Amino acid sequence: MNNLLRRICFALASVMLVHALAFFMLHSTRGGPFDSNQQFSAETLAALEQRYHLNESLLNQYLNSLQGVVTLDFGPSLQYQGTSVQELLGSAIPVSFILGGGALLIAIIVGLSAGMFVASSSSRWRVAAVRFSGSALLATPNFVVAGILISIFAFGLGLVPVAGHRQLSSWLLPCCALGLPLAAQLFVLIQQHALQAHDSNAYRSAVARGLSKRSLNINYILRPSLTPVLAFLGPATAGILTGSLVIEQIFSLPGLGTFFVQAALARDYTLALGVTVVYTATLASCTLIADVLIMKFDPRSEAVS
Amino acid sequence: MSRANKFPRWQSLLLLGICLVAAFAPLLPLANYSTMDVSQQLHPPQLISAPFLGTDAQGRDMLSRIIYGARISLSVGIFGTLVALLIGVPFGALAGLGSTRRDNAMMRLADALESIPMVVFILFMLSVLQEYRLELASIGFGRLQLFFVAIGVLFWLPTARVVRAECLRIKKMAFVDAARSQGMSAIRIFKQHILPQLWSSIGSMLIITLPRVILMEAFLSFLGLGVEAPAVSWGRLASDGMSTLNPLVDAGWLLYLPSIALVGCLLLFQRLARWARDYVNLDS
Repeated sequence: MNNLLRRICFALASVMLVHALAFFMLHSTRGGPFDSNQQFSAETLAALEQRYHLNESLLNQYLNSLQGVVTLDFGPSLQYQGTSVQELLGSAIPVSFILGGGALLIAIIVGLSAGMFVASSSSRWRVAAVRFSGSALLATPNFVVAGILISIFAFGLGLVPVAGHRQLSSWLLPCCALGLPLAAQLFVLIQQHALQAHDSNAYRSAVARGLSKRSLNINYILRPSLTPVLAFLGPATAGILTGSLVIEQIFSLPGLGTFFVQAALARDYTLALGVTVVYTATLASCTLIADVLIMKFDPRSEAVS
Repeated sequence: MSRANKFPRWQSLLLLGICLVAAFAPLLPLANYSTMDVSQQLHPPQLISAPFLGTDAQGRDMLSRIIYGARISLSVGIFGTLVALLIGVPFGALAGLGSTRRDNAMMRLADALESIPMVVFILFMLSVLQEYRLELASIGFGRLQLFFVAIGVLFWLPTARVVRAECLRIKKMAFVDAARSQGMSAIRIFKQHILPQLWSSIGSMLIITLPRVILMEAFLSFLGLGVEAPAVSWGRLASDGMSTLNPLVDAGWLLYLPSIALVGCLLLFQRLARWARDYVNLDS
């Protein structure tokens, strides 16, 4: 329990740290939020800076921003005038999380079943084919995966729409494009550990005791390989839930990544910091959840850490 | 697992061949990779005669673009990885060989750095790049150099962890104790007894990191952080191909050909990396 508490503290500290880093990095680059498209008069500019507290000292601004993080109120967006950062995040988070959740589902189903197939199949050719496609997928940038999926399923066969997020079918391609590379990573990981489990004495003695194939696969191969998979899935889930910049851009989905790019480039300090905090908090909490699950799942790990 | 321990001979030869072709590209009888020719726009690949691999939307020869792209992709891979090792190896060695307290502090720092989402880092890099472009160029720091540094900064952590673990292991060995009891200085112990043991894991981290770096270059190219206009890399070619993808123009080769080059090359590197990992028996 003490361990858990320490981890929670570490997670909170890392969110604070990244927020501070991002804050000072954003403010150290030249250019402000109001000097891009329109020319404001000096008075308007002064009034705007007054309104968004940009004329105060950097330390004060930082403390304000920190207070915002603690109270979960990130203030108004500088770029989208009249809209608060929470509203923007509220519209972007569901998009990114649906995309990420779908991708994760695909990754787990495809990755686990491919890994189990390789561990239990006896056909050398099929195993080699699955392995090769796994490696090839690992070596392919995800925008190329997206491009290939689009040209086959959207342009070639016309089965699904290319962009948009109103219909269910339009989520299919982006989820696959995001999920398949992760499935390949998962596959490599589980295959490695499944093979180890296959070589273990526990497995051999279970075979000798005449257990059914099904029970062998589930209890003696899948279960011992799950711990490393969980450890990997923690950070990977965060990466995928917060969406991928590239996939959101290709399929024009209004998710977190898209907002983040715009905000960072337009010096929209509040929005960029809001997205940063969401990103980091997701990463920290996913890692935390994975750690807790591992401890529940494999009591040995608690003794080690 | 045992089968994998044979050195992948033909894969390495093939890679060597690719590197040689890339290195000596200016000597090969190729069309200029950046000369535009409006009359030759979007010529599909013919394989047996002149535009062997077709031309792109500006009529530039794809074969020479892919070969010249290899130059940038491979050199980004090699130099980016070297920068990563240059940061990671000293960090890992300093953590692994120092006092427990220093080790703890350095590893907590590494944990904290790992908790920065990569997207955040990349975007800050992007905005800094946009902002200080001219100043950086005036001190001879072009896009490509910035790339090497940025990639090194992104990829040094795993190397640092591996080197630290190795140092912790070697430190406990009897010959290090013996050297210390003879009164050897810490620097000499490091040079004579520890560093020689580290080379194999450093070498394998080089091979393991390299394909990841090349893939990262492709990703950055897609975000518009890639090499600048006349220069080409595989990532840039593939993302150009991606942008010409549309249902009315059938120009799939612009996406597929550079992707095949990239994926093929990375597969060869992966094979080599797997061998390297088994060779030094790394778990990560």
